[in-house]
Amino acid sequence: MDFPELFSLAKKFKKTEREYAETAELTPRKIAVLGSSGTQLLTELLRLFLYKEGISPDIYEGEYQSTYSEAMDDGSPLYAFRPDFLILLPHHTDIKVFPPLLCGRPEADEWVRNETEFFTALWEKLAAKLPKTKILEANFAVPPERELGNLEGSAHYGKSVLLQKLNLAMADRLPSAVTLIDVEYLAQNVGKGRWFSNKDYFLSKLGCAPDCLPALAAAFVSPIRFYSGRIRKCLALDLDNTLWGGVVGDDGASGIQLSPNHPVGEAYRAFQRYVKALAARGVILAVCSKNDLDTAREPFLTNPDMILKAEDIACFVANWEDKAGNLKQIAETLNIGVDSLVFFDDNPAERAIVRQFLPQVHVVNVPEDPADYAAALSAENPFDWPELTAEDLKRGLSYAAASRQREISRKFVDYDSYLRNLDMRGESGRLQKPDAERFAQLINKSNQFNLRTIRYTDAEILELISSPDAYPITVKLRDRFADYGLISCIILRKSHDTAFIDTWVMSCRVLKRGVENFAWGAVVAAAREMGCSRINGEYLPTKKNAMVACFLPELGFAATQSDENGTNYTLDLANARVKETFIMVDS
Amino acid sequence: MDIKAKLQEVFRDVFDDGDIELRDNMTAADIEDWDSLAHIQLIVAAEKAFGVKFFTAEVSRLKNVGDFIALIENKL
Repeated sequence: MDFPELFSLAKKFKKTEREYAETAELTPRKIAVLGSSGTQLLTELLRLFLYKEGISPDIYEGEYQSTYSEAMDDGSPLYAFRPDFLILLPHHTDIKVFPPLLCGRPEADEWVRNETEFFTALWEKLAAKLPKTKILEANFAVPPERELGNLEGSAHYGKSVLLQKLNLAMADRLPSAVTLIDVEYLAQNVGKGRWFSNKDYFLSKLGCAPDCLPALAAAFVSPIRFYSGRIRKCLALDLDNTLWGGVVGDDGASGIQLSPNHPVGEAYRAFQRYVKALAARGVILAVCSKNDLDTAREPFLTNPDMILKAEDIACFVANWEDKAGNLKQIAETLNIGVDSLVFFDDNPAERAIVRQFLPQVHVVNVPEDPADYAAALSAENPFDWPELTAEDLKRGLSYAAASRQREISRKFVDYDSYLRNLDMRGESGRLQKPDAERFAQLINKSNQFNLRTIRYTDAEILELISSPDAYPITVKLRDRFADYGLISCIILRKSHDTAFIDTWVMSCRVLKRGVENFAWGAVVAAAREMGCSRINGEYLPTKKNAMVACFLPELGFAATQSDENGTNYTLDLANARVKETFIMVDS
Repeated sequence: MDIKAKLQEVFRDVFDDGDIELRDNMTAADIEDWDSLAHIQLIVAAEKAFGVKFFTAEVSRLKNVGDFIALIENKL
C-alpha cells in the first residue's frame, strides 16, 4: 500500500480505535515521539502499524523541535508521561554550524566529538530520568545536495563525510538503553532523491517524502515489537518454486532447477544462501510443503546443489493438509507462538489462506521472480531484532538438534530412558556480568514459562549483580546435541528472613526436561546462602503463562492468598524438597 | 471523467466520506477533518491520481477547491 492508502486506512481505523482496543488481545505500550521535523503523520502510521502487531499505543507527541528542551526540563510533560519507548528523530537541519572548509583534521575531529557529546549527554539525562524507557534514536539521513561535489565524500571537512562520521560515532557510544535506528540506510535504500522532498520540508516540515513515511514508521515498530516480547523467530518455507525451480514430485530430486550454471538455478541458490545466513544468526527454519514427506526430503539429502541441508531444518512438515493447520503444528512442535512465524510461499493462494486463517503470522509478499526473493524478505525485515546474543547464534542449531531428539524420543518407550540418553549437563549460579544482557533478554522475551511477567532493563539487571538483597540466578544447559546456553533466570529478593521469588522464567525450548526441578535446587541453595528460612512466591496470570499456574504448589508451596489478580504462596525452607533430575551438575 | 469528478473521488477517499460534493468555493473550513495533515495527504493523493507534481508555491497559494481544479487543469 502506498502512502495515501495507508493514511486513509489510519484515518478509518482511528474512528474505530477505541472499540477495537477493547475487543482485541492487545499489549498496551506508551510511546513518546520527539522530532526535529513534523512527526504527526509518522505518528498516525505508527499507531496503525502497532495495532497490526498486537500493541495498543498510547502516544505522546512532543512539540515540534522540542527534543532538547523537553529532555532538560525536569518538569516536562515527557517525564510525567513515563513512556515505555521514546523515539528521537533528529534532522540534518538541526546542525547549524560545520567546521570551515580546509580546516585541519583535529578541528574536524573535534566537531564530530562535540556533536556526539550532545547526543550522549541527552541520552544520559533521559536514561537517568526514565530508567525503564527504551530510547529509539534515529541517526542522520545525509542529504544529497553537495557543495563540494565528489570531494564532499572524501575531504575531512566535507559535510557528507562529517555527517557519516557523526552517525558512526553515535553508534560507537550507544548506552544499553538506546537502540539506533539506521535512517541513513532507509534513505539510501530508496534513494536519496526519493527520500528527501524539500518541497514537503518547506511546506510541512516533513523530514522525508510522505511516500517514505511508512518505511520510517516500520523501522521504529520492529524494536517496539521485539521489546514487547512479540518476536518473529521462525521462517516457514514452501519448497517447489520457492527453494528450487520446478516441482520435485514431477521433476525428481535431481531434476529440479538449482544449477549453479543456470541463471534461474543461481537465483534459487542465492535465496537459499540468504536463508542459511538467517539461520546462522538465530532464525529457526521450518518447511511447510504440500508434498509427500519422503519426496520433499530427498533433495535435502541427495541433491549436491542444495545449500540448505536436512540438519538446517528444525521442523519439516510435508503432507497434503492445509498450510494454516500445518503452520500451527510447526509452532506447536517448536514450542513457539504462532505469532513468531514468518511464512514464505511463492503461491499467492496459499498466502491468502494463511493471511485469512492465521492473521498473526507474518506472510511475506513474495515477488514473481526468484531473483528478487532475498531482497523482498530483507525489505520486509521480519527478523529485525535490535540486538544479537551468543545464544541467538546457537538457537538455530539447538532447535534443529531438538527436532532430531524428537525422532529419537519416539524410539524410547519410556521417557526416563530418553532423558537419561540425552546426557544433559546443567550449571547454575549467581548471575555474572557477561551473562547480564542475555539474562535481561530472556526475561523480556519469555511469556509462557514466566511466573510474574515483570520486565527488566539491562541497567536494572546490572544493578542486581552487586545488590546484597537480591540474588539473580542463572541456569544453563547442554546435552549431547546442543549447547543451549542460559535457559532459565530467577531473581530472589531478600526481606528479613524471607526470600521472595521476584522472577522465574524459563525458555520453552527445554520444557519437559526437568530443568525447572534442577533450577529449584539452585533456588533452595541460594535462599539458604542468603540466610533465609522461608521462600515466598507469587503467580500473576496473563493470557500466555497458564503453564505455570500450578508450578509453585507442585514444588510444595502452600497458597496464602488468592484473587483474580494472582495467588501468593509460601514455603518453610526446612520443608523444601528437590526432585531428582537426569541433569548432571556441570563443573 | 472530468477533473472535478476525479478530484472529488480523491477527496472522498482521503476523508473516507462518500457524500462529499465539491464546490469551487469550498475551503478547509467546510470539511471538518481538513487539517494540515489531511492537506498533505490531499496533495500527495492528487499528484498520484493525475500524474502531476505541484510546485511549492502552487501548493502554498491554494485557497479553495476552485484553485485546486484550476491548478490541475494547468498541469495537464
